[in-house]
Amino acid sequence: MSKTVRFTFDGEPQTATGSVSVAAALTGAGHTRLRRTDGDSARGMFCGIGVCQDCLVTIDGRPNRRACMTLLEDGMTVETQAARAPLSGPAPPRLKAERLSPDVLIIGGGAAGLAAGIAARAEGAEVLLLDERKVAGGQYFKQPARADAPAMDPQQADGAALVARARESGVTIVAGAEVWGAFDGPEIMASTATHVYVLTPRALIVATGAYERPIMIPGWTLPGVMTVGAAQTLWRSYGVLPGKRVAIFGNGPLCAQVALELSKGGAEIAVLGETAAPGWTQPRAVAAMALSNRALAAKGAGMLAGLRRRGIAVTWRAKPLAIEQTGAGLTVAYQAGKRHRQVTVDAVCLNFGFQPQNEILRLLGTAMRFDARFGQLRPDRSAVMETSVPGVYAVGDCCGLGGAHAAMVEGRIAGRAAAGGSGPTDKESAELSGHRRFQDALWQVYAADEPPGIEHATPETLICRCEEVTCAKLDDALKAGGSDIGAIKRATRIGMGRCQGRYCAPVLAAYLAGKQGRPLEDLSFFAPQVPIKPVDIATVAATEALLETPPADG
Amino acid sequence: MAEAIDLLIVGGGITGQSAALTAAGAGARVAIVDMAQNVGSHANAGSLHVQMQSRFLRLNPHLAENVESSLPLYLAAVAEWDVLDEALGGVELTREGGLMLAEGADQMAFLREKAEREAKKGLAVDILERPELERIAPYLGPNIVGAEICRDEGKVNPLIANRKMNARLSALGVRHIADRIIGIEAGDGKPAAIGQARHKAAHILIAAAWGTEALTRSLGLRLPTPPEPLHMNITEAGEYAIKHLVQHAERSITLKQFRSGQVVIGGGWPARQNGVESTPRVRGDSLLGNVALAAAIAPGIAGLRVLRTWAGVNTPVDGKATIGPVRPGARVSLSLPGDAGYTLGPIVGRSAAEQILGLPSQIDPTPFAPNRWYD
Repeated sequence: MSKTVRFTFDGEPQTATGSVSVAAALTGAGHTRLRRTDGDSARGMFCGIGVCQDCLVTIDGRPNRRACMTLLEDGMTVETQAARAPLSGPAPPRLKAERLSPDVLIIGGGAAGLAAGIAARAEGAEVLLLDERKVAGGQYFKQPARADAPAMDPQQADGAALVARARESGVTIVAGAEVWGAFDGPEIMASTATHVYVLTPRALIVATGAYERPIMIPGWTLPGVMTVGAAQTLWRSYGVLPGKRVAIFGNGPLCAQVALELSKGGAEIAVLGETAAPGWTQPRAVAAMALSNRALAAKGAGMLAGLRRRGIAVTWRAKPLAIEQTGAGLTVAYQAGKRHRQVTVDAVCLNFGFQPQNEILRLLGTAMRFDARFGQLRPDRSAVMETSVPGVYAVGDCCGLGGAHAAMVEGRIAGRAAAGGSGPTDKESAELSGHRRFQDALWQVYAADEPPGIEHATPETLICRCEEVTCAKLDDALKAGGSDIGAIKRATRIGMGRCQGRYCAPVLAAYLAGKQGRPLEDLSFFAPQVPIKPVDIATVAATEALLETPPADG
Repeated sequence: MAEAIDLLIVGGGITGQSAALTAAGAGARVAIVDMAQNVGSHANAGSLHVQMQSRFLRLNPHLAENVESSLPLYLAAVAEWDVLDEALGGVELTREGGLMLAEGADQMAFLREKAEREAKKGLAVDILERPELERIAPYLGPNIVGAEICRDEGKVNPLIANRKMNARLSALGVRHIADRIIGIEAGDGKPAAIGQARHKAAHILIAAAWGTEALTRSLGLRLPTPPEPLHMNITEAGEYAIKHLVQHAERSITLKQFRSGQVVIGGGWPARQNGVESTPRVRGDSLLGNVALAAAIAPGIAGLRVLRTWAGVNTPVDGKATIGPVRPGARVSLSLPGDAGYTLGPIVGRSAAEQILGLPSQIDPTPFAPNRWYD
């Protein structure tokens, strides 16, 4: 039975049903404007996975809480977050401090992390797994927030089974855990709502996945504009639709999948715009995809058939140009082939590829290589997924896009190796190369003409959504002689905000490299620094109690 | 062939830039050569220090006399920042004063004695008891019993100051050369700075902070300038409430808030550096210790989150500036603040340039002559 939860938003009484995030509850109640920026613009939930920091609200007087990562509780007082919170909030809750040294520490409870945990337990290792969300499963398996909710489809059922297997095998899963520090050792610092941890494992497996790349066009920061994954989480985890009428633009199969899911949930899909040309123009790549993995290719074909049955036509070679808040909703001007069109909707969902969450790897100094095809850094890895730093393994999409199926095989291999077991079996190697061939063919089918950079942004387009840095301001800094990414950052504040450069850094690095005719490399990006995510001062203070020897101050 | 250079400045931090501003403003043809390590002025957090920092005194008790005798220079330095704020069109400078906090009677006694010595040197200092302190700093914790206030202290936003300084120097025609200088040739003719290229000028000014030692060895000086790698933290923006530069009578901390709302926490916690040329890296224990101390003295900041940390380099030397030609009449000069480089940089750079150009100086440079470093 779903029970009714009562809360207030800016003083008005609200209700929500069941186990939902604060962001989902507010979306369900029709509230998308959650915070004000320094430039006095409204912002709302954008990424839905705790990265963008634009859904900040004040909860029970405590400012700067992420609505997307906070589970709604009965009696909560939620308020719009002012640009600058007063320094007079209530005292933070007391946190319990623990220092732990498990055999294997896994960061990330998605497909890769769960598979790694099961494999490491099978070798007898003591395994601790930290997951950011309240329920493990990751982005691919996206689990419902309510434990007793029935699975929506086989994908969710498979995820539930994997989480259950991990628990039964004896993996200790700490949910709602944010990893904010990574130092040589490795020494990992993490926190939950009640605890802070310093972790010094014998082996570390990084399975932090990826986040979605947006397209930077006028209006991409408006409330109601969100990533495709954020919309999917609203529906799959919390049973809330992003709006009645939805437009989806992007590149890759996730867009079609989410269009189908939202449509089945009762949303009207006004446009499903795909950057790539239709698959039938690339029969060879389609054939390669089918050959490398019949089941997955069939699933994709079934998805497109499902869309057709529901009357949703894919608009191929589509590209959004600008989004505007109008009286009737969000009006999107877009290009469909050579034609210009416009549509007005309640919610706009964007996904233009993925960016690996490799902050922990970069902080620990693992050797990275730039993959020009996907515009991503990928760590160098051995056959057992060990990075250039001994004892540090990396699996799944945090190493560059590879998909959930490859991630699970990588997890199995790394989990066993990290626990001192044997290397990959022939079957695993064959499976992994099959999945990689499939991914390769898949992205040939979905090949876009160009990655979404800022070359086509208008001067007033925001490149840094946190510090509200426009393309014009960035170009001024470049003209004034800024040469490296650090100098541009100091001159414009680009990348200095709460998302810590996660959206602007990849496009800025590519833009600078393009202008200077240099190849992209690790040093093209902002230097990695702690904290990995913004961390409460109270969390840091509580963690200090775990220092084995007090540091010499000065 | 490039145009002849009257003054070549080695080092593009605030000291070298201020010297360039003075010299170019007086009509000299000026170039700055810099290796773009960007961990000094470009990593600075913008405190304007005047009162004696308890941290320096604790670490270097034998240099207390140097620091105390430099107090008038610190006063001139913050006045010079006022001039710069005006000249550059605003660098978010505020001179609302600095607080040094005490947590007990012994610390209050220490501050009283310190304030007395500082008042004799012309500083505007007072001792505040708890009620008075609470009125101006309501964010402080209950364990703070009082403070010394130095009304001369303040802060600037270094990101804005550095950007506007760069723009002004470009407008004045100051050339910027990217090179790493490894030696200075000072023969009978024009001196030259040696890097990838040989840069000749009528006069060379070394404004190279921790790089000074290596460049002055061949000039007959024994001038140790070990870098001091330091840690800093910055939070997301909150309502502007921390108006003072906050320090502690006994522990290492600086706490301040930019006008834009971010709280900067620093104060000399160590960072890790492998050799003078590497970029220093953040240490976990410094991060924990520094931020925990800030939370303990100012619980009002607990609702904010730390967004970034970084490490930079301070060059404490002997707690006293070094300004002037390496020998009387030499065509190579030094400008080395000697601790608190960002505060002192403008006055030290300006004075060095004034001496080179034969202009009247606001300060008497005699006590700061390099002769104490003769080998």
